[in-house]
Amino acid sequence: MEVKANLVPGNNGYKKVRFDSLLLLPYRDADLSTVLSQVSTIFIKEYSPGNLATTSFRGTPANHTQVEWNGINLNNPMLGQSDLSQIPVSAFNEIEVLYGAAGLTRTSGAFGGVVNLVTNPDWNNRIHAVAAQTLGSFENYTTQLNFIGGTSSFQSNTRLNYTSQRNNFPYYNENTGETVTQHDANVMQYGITEEAFWKIKDKHLLTARVWYSYDDRDIPPQVVGSYYLQKMLNKTLRTVLEYKLVEKYWNFSFRSAFVNQFMNYRYDNMFINDNHRYYSWLNSARFAYTRVKNLTIKPGLDYTYEHVRSDDYSGIKTRNTLGFYLEASYIFNDHISSRLVLREDFLDGKFMPFIPALGFDYKPFNKINLYLNANASRNYRYPSLNDLYWIPGGNPELKPEYDNGLDGGITYNYPSKNNAFFFETSLTGYYSWMHDMIVWSPMPSNPSVWTPQNVSAVNARGVEASLNLKWKINKLQITSAGNYTYCKSTNEKTTSPLDQSLGKQLIYTPENTFNETINLICWNFILGYNVNYVDKRYTSADNQSYMPGYSLSNIILGKSFVLHNFVISLLVKVNNVFDLDYQSVENWPMPGRNYSMTVKFEFKK
Amino acid sequence: MNLKSKVIRKNVFYSNIPGSRLVLFTFLFGLFLSGCSKTPIRETTVNQPAPIDTTASTYENGVFVVNEGNYTWANASISYITNSGDSVYQDIFQYANKRGLGDVAQSMKILGNKGFIIVNNNDRIEVVSLTNFKSLNTITGFSSPRYLEFVDSTKAYVTNMKANISVVDLRKMTIIKSIQTPYWTESLVRFGQYMFVTCMGSFNLPPADRKAQVYIIDTKTDMIVDSLLLGKDPVSITVDRKNKIWVISTGGYNNYEAPTLSRIDPVLMIVDKTFTFPAQQGVPSRLCINPTGDTLYFINGGVFQMPVNATALPTTALIPANGHLFYGLGIHPTTGQVFVSDAVNYVQSGYVFKCSQSSGQVLKTFTAGRIPGSFCFTTTTKK
Repeated sequence: MEVKANLVPGNNGYKKVRFDSLLLLPYRDADLSTVLSQVSTIFIKEYSPGNLATTSFRGTPANHTQVEWNGINLNNPMLGQSDLSQIPVSAFNEIEVLYGAAGLTRTSGAFGGVVNLVTNPDWNNRIHAVAAQTLGSFENYTTQLNFIGGTSSFQSNTRLNYTSQRNNFPYYNENTGETVTQHDANVMQYGITEEAFWKIKDKHLLTARVWYSYDDRDIPPQVVGSYYLQKMLNKTLRTVLEYKLVEKYWNFSFRSAFVNQFMNYRYDNMFINDNHRYYSWLNSARFAYTRVKNLTIKPGLDYTYEHVRSDDYSGIKTRNTLGFYLEASYIFNDHISSRLVLREDFLDGKFMPFIPALGFDYKPFNKINLYLNANASRNYRYPSLNDLYWIPGGNPELKPEYDNGLDGGITYNYPSKNNAFFFETSLTGYYSWMHDMIVWSPMPSNPSVWTPQNVSAVNARGVEASLNLKWKINKLQITSAGNYTYCKSTNEKTTSPLDQSLGKQLIYTPENTFNETINLICWNFILGYNVNYVDKRYTSADNQSYMPGYSLSNIILGKSFVLHNFVISLLVKVNNVFDLDYQSVENWPMPGRNYSMTVKFEFKK
Repeated sequence: MNLKSKVIRKNVFYSNIPGSRLVLFTFLFGLFLSGCSKTPIRETTVNQPAPIDTTASTYENGVFVVNEGNYTWANASISYITNSGDSVYQDIFQYANKRGLGDVAQSMKILGNKGFIIVNNNDRIEVVSLTNFKSLNTITGFSSPRYLEFVDSTKAYVTNMKANISVVDLRKMTIIKSIQTPYWTESLVRFGQYMFVTCMGSFNLPPADRKAQVYIIDTKTDMIVDSLLLGKDPVSITVDRKNKIWVISTGGYNNYEAPTLSRIDPVLMIVDKTFTFPAQQGVPSRLCINPTGDTLYFINGGVFQMPVNATALPTTALIPANGHLFYGLGIHPTTGQVFVSDAVNYVQSGYVFKCSQSSGQVLKTFTAGRIPGSFCFTTTTKK
């Protein structure tokens, strides 16, 4: 049994959690929102199948989670946030989640954190070919083809995925008192990924990646109201070149990526047919120097150029961001290590706020895997392009948003002697004070036009607890992963005398969430059970109305047949086992019990 | 370098494994949480409103507060304040029809015993009976409808944000034709045979490129017969007792130009007077007129009052804002009292203030729904 820690202790004071490919296995046919809502501590706000799914990470709005694919930002460049329903799990191998200040090693502006989707080469692999077909309820189909092949110094990874969804699920509509069928919720999505890795003498590593994705979908209707078809098309090409040189006392890495994204939104009844074309060129260089004992100094330089031509902006908008980065890690002794991160960005030649972060890791005992960590950081987020330039309403006068954060925790793991049992648990607390937060509201001059302003202040604090077990009893393997979060994220600024929202929980931010996944594996059988509980989410700022909490259960059952180099697997999933009639977001219907079945052929040599 | 990897391999003897009980516990906990609810999980309020006695209430003598609701949240609603007794009823459409009103209720108009509620982001008009507020018809096919004005008892015009003025046949309750306008049409007022409609220019253009004008439409032929150029973003229009038409232009968003109040002579078809507001000092909106047609009201932070024969803009507010976010304005057609709403922060229940037209003093405060944006007053006063 492979024993891998999900939590990454000893990260010099910054919290990092990894979901490996084994854990993601049952989710290969799903999108990122499903995985994160079932196994992570990030709250996912799901509108309806086929429609938007956004994040709330540590009580922050969606644009404070940066989603990356191997370090390349996947957030919608105009909105500054990601729709997780558009990201298929089949496009990557692992997920790493960097909490709060941990994200500063990658980017500024993600007050919640960074979700990085990772593909790494397996140099021991020779040939691994996969063909999988999923059939799901509501005419949902997914096809995946992977070919991974290579030698000990070269690996190529080719993936194709195709998804088509009708999402024509029935739901009870209390407005009409009838059970109706959801309509106009079609999704057609495909993606092609090619990744090549060359290794020369364990010294040079050259990586090239290309990902083309195509996503054509309807924007499904709400429960209330008449409906006219709205469509969204998204075509994105991402190309990345990476080079890494490893020497004895130093190493150097350089990455250059080019993103070409085309988006179209069509709403014929409203005469809207808007195109948005986005180009970006992202460069990042890091140099690490380790000659001085126990000290690693890592200076770096980032340069990003963005170019947008949108039917909803006036003219072409560009943005140049030059970032200076310095990271210093120091190991004081066997017990204490630390990391300092400094960042200074220049945006179109303007100085942005200086970012410092300092973290410590403390391991009090030699023989017990107990870690304590803490960090303090400052962060800022520059307004998104829509905040600045959207017509009508965009406000070019906007200032950055600020965050001052503290975070600390304790992690313990215990691997038994023969590796038959592995146990890890952690408890983290965080405190974050965010101000000058951007809120869109109607303009006094024309209430039908909304405009963003730096008006809000938010205090987010909370606790994250997790418990993971891996246990082997003869032929039976048991894995259990559980997470609990408590998040109090409150509005700390009001202007109107009648405003009752001061100190109240932000809307659509649950105070308590819990999820638990248990898998039993034996004789190539897998039986898995997942439950995720979401507490009530307020729908009014004064906390006078809310969507009640719910918990969803899902079951998987699978069996693999191994024939020499061939593996044939069958996986059946039952989602929403108890057929709960629920809404995650007010007035957006969600499906009851539903099923999917995957047949997978694998060849491995 | 990495502390973790060094230590992980060193194992501590550990004999009593507590895992099994924990796994069982969490499993059962999950089952418990999942199994307990069978009723649909929908929005709930903390303080449930007191049950309304439907048989006692009619909707023929009072004030309708049109609560826009949040854009794309489908939580628009209508509140009703009775003229006598100041009773307030919330969410009356939902109550009478057992369904939500929809997404963004923009405005409401009354003809006889029927109310016409414009549901902007559902592109429809709900026609309700004022006896019980039950839906009689739903007129569909608009393009982000804004305001409605009756031509006569058989025909009405509806402005649309995304171009064209819709002509509605009130007998068939359908759109019978569209008066082609390339741009966003907003506020409208009837003057004799003519309809004066403000046009904001294209929704998707910045203020500099927007052509703001008033279209004059002959309601007999449904043709645009004339137009007048105005200041950017003419949001509100009304007519006074001297048969002059008044328009507020906000100057475009982001303070593109100074806001103006223009007076149109509808006979000569000219702008015969323009008051310019001081630049960068608030933006006027929601132009209304009192029952006698001699005093204008508008919101500019606070609520201002201005006689139609004034020679300058008022400088002191009748009702100062004092931190309130005044959002909707209406003048009671019989009492002349000023109804102004406070949208608070747009994400909670708003308020309505009934104020004296002479002193501006708040006579009564009512709770309303989410983003109370406009008022509609019943036309006949029954005792």
